[in-house]
Order: sequence, then structure tokens, then C-alpha cells
Amino acid sequence: MHRKSLLSLFMLSMGAALIVAAMAVGVASARTQATRNLVVTQGGGAFDTLDPQLAYVSNDWGLQYNTELTLLNFPTAAGTAGTKLIPQAASAMPAIANGGRQYTFHIRPGLKLSDGSSVSAANFQRAFERNLSPQMYAQWGIADGLDQFLVGGAKFAAGKAAHISGVDANGLTLTIHLTRVVPQFTSIMGMPWFQAVPSNLAYSNNKGGIRVYASGGPYYIYSNNLNKLTVLKRNKHWQTSGYFTSNWPSNPDVITIKSTPNSDGTAELLQAEKGQVDLAGVASQDIHDTVQTYGINKKTSKGELIIGPTTCILWNAMNDLAQNGTTKKTNVRKALNYAMSRTVQNSYYGEQAGKASEQILVPAIPGYNKLTYYGGTGDLTKAKNVGGTDLKDAPLNIYYRASSTAQSNIAEYMRSQAVKLGMKPNLTPADPADYYGALETKATATGSGGYNITASGGWCADYEDGYDYFNVNFDGRNIQPTGNADYMYFNNATFNSHMDAAAAKTGSARATAYGNLDKEFMQTYAPLIPREIPNSREFAAPRVGNYIYSTWWGQGYWNAIKVPAT
Amino acid sequence: VIQFLVRRIFWAFFLFLAATGVTYVLFFVIPSDPARIAAGKAATAPLIKHIRHMMGLDLPLYHQYWNFVWALVRHGSFGYSYVNGEPVRSMLAQEIPVTASIVLGGVILYLLIAIPTGVISALRPRSIMDRVGMVFVLFGVSAPSVWVGTMLLYLVGFRLGWTPISGYCGIKPTSAFGECGGFWPWFSHLILPWVTLAIGSAALYTRLIRANVMETLSEDYVRTARAKGASPKRVLVQHVLRNSMLQVVTILGMDLGLLLGGALFIEFIFGLPGLGQQILTANNSFDLPVIIGITMFACLAVIAFNFIVDCLYAWLDPRIRLT
Repeated sequence: MHRKSLLSLFMLSMGAALIVAAMAVGVASARTQATRNLVVTQGGGAFDTLDPQLAYVSNDWGLQYNTELTLLNFPTAAGTAGTKLIPQAASAMPAIANGGRQYTFHIRPGLKLSDGSSVSAANFQRAFERNLSPQMYAQWGIADGLDQFLVGGAKFAAGKAAHISGVDANGLTLTIHLTRVVPQFTSIMGMPWFQAVPSNLAYSNNKGGIRVYASGGPYYIYSNNLNKLTVLKRNKHWQTSGYFTSNWPSNPDVITIKSTPNSDGTAELLQAEKGQVDLAGVASQDIHDTVQTYGINKKTSKGELIIGPTTCILWNAMNDLAQNGTTKKTNVRKALNYAMSRTVQNSYYGEQAGKASEQILVPAIPGYNKLTYYGGTGDLTKAKNVGGTDLKDAPLNIYYRASSTAQSNIAEYMRSQAVKLGMKPNLTPADPADYYGALETKATATGSGGYNITASGGWCADYEDGYDYFNVNFDGRNIQPTGNADYMYFNNATFNSHMDAAAAKTGSARATAYGNLDKEFMQTYAPLIPREIPNSREFAAPRVGNYIYSTWWGQGYWNAIKVPAT
Repeated sequence: VIQFLVRRIFWAFFLFLAATGVTYVLFFVIPSDPARIAAGKAATAPLIKHIRHMMGLDLPLYHQYWNFVWALVRHGSFGYSYVNGEPVRSMLAQEIPVTASIVLGGVILYLLIAIPTGVISALRPRSIMDRVGMVFVLFGVSAPSVWVGTMLLYLVGFRLGWTPISGYCGIKPTSAFGECGGFWPWFSHLILPWVTLAIGSAALYTRLIRANVMETLSEDYVRTARAKGASPKRVLVQHVLRNSMLQVVTILGMDLGLLLGGALFIEFIFGLPGLGQQILTANNSFDLPVIIGITMFACLAVIAFNFIVDCLYAWLDPRIRLT
């Protein structure tokens, strides 16, 4: 039996031997044989689609900045310089005629897509058509009113025309005719939806859209397994002139993006600290220790923690249509603005999650001026003074996502503050299958079970204009039975006319008008509680050089980063 | 034997139909609107209606179920993801090898640990080996795999740098850019997940094997075999182990089937893109076709392994007949 015991012991040690063998193998590096490969890992979020006309999520657009060729684009530059559009495919800013109803873009000669085909106006015309075609799975363009302000847009979107009559492609000249004055149109042209696509790029009735396609930016999508691995390679046809290489450099040869949809982020951070990947997000649970170890925005020999603002604003929406009528009263909405501390709410998202704010506009948007009106610290005395007797026993349905720890905490905090105000709060968890359904549907918002206030909500810029913050979200004339973006169901005739007036202005007058709207909105109506401009928190491995943070995309410019060849 | 096989196949088919029916109904009667979810945020009513029609959700439920079963039987199709439109079958084809790698490697590892430890403990009760084995069992049972995995990832992967921290490489060498592949990369990425899976399960199996072997050692036929002069090795291998393994094989069959449905925690901790990760993603986004596809696969795995276990019974114990 002794020999058998030894044999068994030997077998027992097999497991340990396997571990030792693996250790001998060492780390199979996440980097591959390419010369300068920037490896990015996305813990907790994959791409839903990278189809140029279907993509509408921040990380989709963050990637597409590297692959797109738009008529106008944001330069790869730090700070506010990176939030100002400059001509990219267009030789200059558009020529505007017909009282603001006609935009003409002249496209630079010699531009090519990654497949070697020449870029002409037809490539941009196709982008417009893919935005509106009924043969496409989703029509975000319609949600943004593209069909209404493009001449022939509605007819094309209804499938009654082969082309949009108001989008005229003639060689290198693209002329766009609008049904009405749309001063923000220039800004809209910087959106990835309007990038040059192959003029025969198919329509897609699949939500994932077209995954790999020729593009005109510094990189193109080489391979794309949406929720696992996406590889960008340098576009060998990218322009070599100083204007392009300085405004849109292409430093890495390859950009590899690894997605781990359900990670809590810690493993990705460890990988970046170990140099197994180059860029990783920093999750809430890790941020404190990472700040302690690396500081903020300080390059060290062991890596760098980068924290920067985004162009998003988070808020708590207050429903004007709730049947109990509580949040229809302006003084109650103002009282809640005083009562709900921004600092406390933001703390539930962890350290360095963002910066408290009390307004709609963010610093990157023309017209922004910092406003402080409610104090943001949860002033119950002022709240009671403003709310008066309207607060007493007033029902307050607090709508939140129960699966979110932060939202649950915020909802509980709101409940406790409301109780202190003498209100009768009630926690109303969202349908776990469909958080937005109740918010977007007017009948639900109006019904007796309707919500009064949400624990979360917000907006990120589609384009750099106050219109995208105010008119898109708060113009009550656009409220529909479903599909609403205005979860406040705020519809005020005076404010609508003020928004119309701001939208009709151009240049610095426009910026001033939106700045004034920002002040009027919160001081006079207060239909929501703006609470935070969220931060992006990213960690760069020691080998990462030339990291430039983009406020617009809320991440580093991948195309600018320098990594050594391996 | 043929009668047995026919009966089992028929039974498996019935189980499969029942499982698909229940799963389908459960997922489609819960109060959610797949068309609204698929349409995305700020979708207009006409768009939702259009998508509902495209998905066939405007048909009666029995019709939808029939379409689902017919697509599955006729085309082997589980449908398409609501989130990205990808065929569920091709998603499963990518994820099954990952989960299978984790599960099969983990099972081999824990059997390599559990069988000798359990047998030694049974042969030498209250010996040092037995007591060490029991400490191991206590640790393995007490330590959640989430904690074990995180500790291994931090200590072995990050601090010592002996293995990759996270991610997966296929076993086949690949020339696809950005993808890693080959036996050693595959092995080094999976060793920590295997150990994590093995620690908890090895403890349970050690306990089970120890108890079974001790019980079998006291059986009359073992005493008879010894009395007839059979060598200790022959007694252990031919009489004790073979009979002790019946229960182990039963539980192993069920474990394998269930684990193949998604080694959820292991995949989550180590960022492995397997079925567990996918079902989490699908659950968060209410991607019903993907959830159903993975459920169906898990169901098939359980049926298949139970069938194999039934066949193994007859081999392990000739008194059991395949009739």
C-alpha cells in the first residue's frame, strides 16, 4: 500500500505541476507581433454597433473618431481646442446661401477611402441616405429631425424617392438644401453619422449593421467582433500633408480594442498597471487606491491616471405630467432643487466621478457660464421656504433602477430628504427589462402610477451647440405618445419661444442666447435637478506616450498615442 | 441495447421540447416588450411597430413558438440577437469552446486532485494525509470561487506575473491579427480559471469519494475478494474503486452539463468570453433569443451527459442492464 500511497501523492501533485508548467510558460502577452500596437481594453462595455449610420453610443463614436472622414471634424487637441470643428474633408467651412437654407461644401481633391477609392460628394450623399432610409434598421436621423429639415427628406424616409432631393452630389461639390433655417447644421456635420462611406455601402436591416467597411479617416476597421475584439489598422491612403498629420495624427500602426462586457473593471486596471494592455478604465471601487498611488494626471514611471470632464450633464428629471400634480408646481421643483444635495448624490458614484453642476450647458458648449443658484449642498431650510405648504403631505414617486446600487442609494437619499420636507415619498422601481419605457411613454408618465422624480438621467452632446441641449430635450411641442427624450414633459410656451429665438441666432449672439436660456431654465422653471458633469477615468500603462485627453469624446485620442514598437 | 437507445433518444427529445416550450413561454410572457427594447432609446411608435412585425412578435404566441421550433429543427437557428442582430448560433459557436475549455480542464484537474486524496483518506482514516485532506476540503468548501479567483488573479497574475491576468486565447494557432492562439497561450490563460474551479469542486468530490470508498471497503464482496487472496491493488481497483464511482459519475454528469451552461463566476472574474459572460450580457439587455439559445444548449448538455452517465453505469456495474 505504501507504493500506492506514493502513486496517489504523485497524482495529487499533478494539479500543482500543471500550475508550475503554466508559470513556466509565462505571460502570453496581449500584444501581438505588430510593430506599434496600442491595446485598449473596455471593461464593462462592448460596442453595440460600429455601422457609421447606426452607431449612437459614446464608445462607438469614440472609436469612429479614428476611422471617420467627415466634412468638418474636431482636431486632435487638448482642452477646448479639441471641441471646435475645423474642415476635414471639406476644403473650408461651408458656404451658406439662400438665407441659411443652402449649404455648399467643396471637398478636397485627392482624398481616398481605405480601399483606395477616391472620395467625392457621393460618399457623403450616401451617408445622408443611410441615415434616413426606411431600409435601415433604426432611423436615428428621424429622431433628430433630419427628415424634416432636409428638402426631400420626408419623401425619401417614406420610401417614395430613390434619393434625397435636397442633397445634391456633383463631383467634389456637395450642396444641401434645407426646408428652413437650421443654424446648428454646421455643427451637425461633425457627427459621425455624416462621415464618408462607400457610395454603394449597403443598407442594413440588422441592428448590428455593417461591421467592416472602407472608411476615410486615419484608420479603418480591419476586423470587428463587436463584444470581444475590434482591430483598427492605419489607413495607408491617409493624407500626408501637414494639415492632416498635425490635426489628425496616426501614431500607432494598429489599435486593438478588447471588450469584456461584464467585467467589474479591476482585472483590466491590473492588466494596464502590469503593462499587458495600454489603456483601461478605472472603476469606482478602484479609484481611491489608484489616486493614492499615482495622483491625478501625473505621468509616472509606473503609469498615469487620467481624469477629465466629458460633455455630458447628469440630472434628476421632474415630471410635469404626473397625475398627483406634485412636480407640476414650480415652487416644489425649486424646493427639491434646494433639498437634493449634488455632492451626496454624486458620492454614490465613487471618488472623482464628476463635478457638481447646477445647469444644463457644459464648459465645452458655446454660451456656457458657470451658474450657482441652489447651492448644491442640500439646503432644507431654503427648500421649505420656497416650497411652503405645497410640500406638506405631497406625494413624491421616486423612479429608479433597482439593479443599480448607486441609483438605489440616490433614491433612498431622495426619500429621506423628502420626508424631512414633510412630503410623502414613494420608491417606484423601474421595470428591470425596460428602464426607459416608462420615461419615454407619455401615457405612463401621465398615469396615476407616474413618476415624479428620477434617480438618474442626463444628456451627452451629439454636436457642439446649445440647441442639442435645450431644443432637443426641452421643446414640449415635440412631445409624442412614445419615444420622448423630454422625460420632464416640460412644455412652456414662453420658454419654447425663447428657445426658438436662440436657435435662430448665429455666432456669438447664439452663444449668448443659449447662455441666457441656461440661466432662465433653472432659475425660472427648474424642471429638473442638474447634478453632475461626469468624469472619464482612465489608466495609461507606463509605455504610453503623448496621451492627449479629449473632452469631446471623453477619452484619450487613440490616434495620438505613441507606443514603442514590439 | 437498441431498445434502450431508442427509448433514451425519444425521452431526450421529449425533454428538449418541454424545456424549449417552458423557456420560450417564460421569457415571452414576462411583462416586457422585446420590440421596444430592440428599437432602442427614444424609438418612435411606428418604428417599434415595424420592428415588432419584423420579429414576428405580432403573431399569436403558439405561432411564434412554432416558428422558433421550426427554425431550430429545420435550420438549426436559434434566431438573432436583439442587441446586435448576430445569429445566436454563431455566437454560441464562438462561446462554447471557451466554456468547454474551462469546464473540461477544471474537471480533469479536480478529479486528479479529488480521486487520490479521497482514496488515500479512505484507506488511511485519521492519518496525517486524511487530516490534511480534510483541511483542504474545509478550505475548498468555505472559500467562494469569486474570492479564490480574485486572489489568484491578484497574487499569481499581477504580483508574481506568472500567468496572464485576464482574457482568453484559442487553442488553435491563429494568424488573425489581434487574436492569440496556440496550445501554450491557451493553457496559460486558463490555468488560473481551472485552479479556481478545481479548488471548490475538488473539495466536494474528495469528501464524496472518501465516503464511498470507506463504505465499499466494508462490503461483503470486498472481504470475500481479500479472503480469496486477491492482491490489494486488484481489490482496490477492480472492486472498491469501480463500485465507489457510481455516485461520483452521476454527480459528475450533472455537474458537467450545468457547468457547460456557463461557468458564470469564473468567466466573470477572468474576463473569459464564454457562455456565462454572454448570458450575463444578454440578461442585462433582455436579449431573449440569446438567453433562450444558451438555455437550450445547457439543456442539451445535461441531457447528453445524463445519457453518457446511464451508459457508464452499465460498464461500471454489470448488474445494471441497458434495458
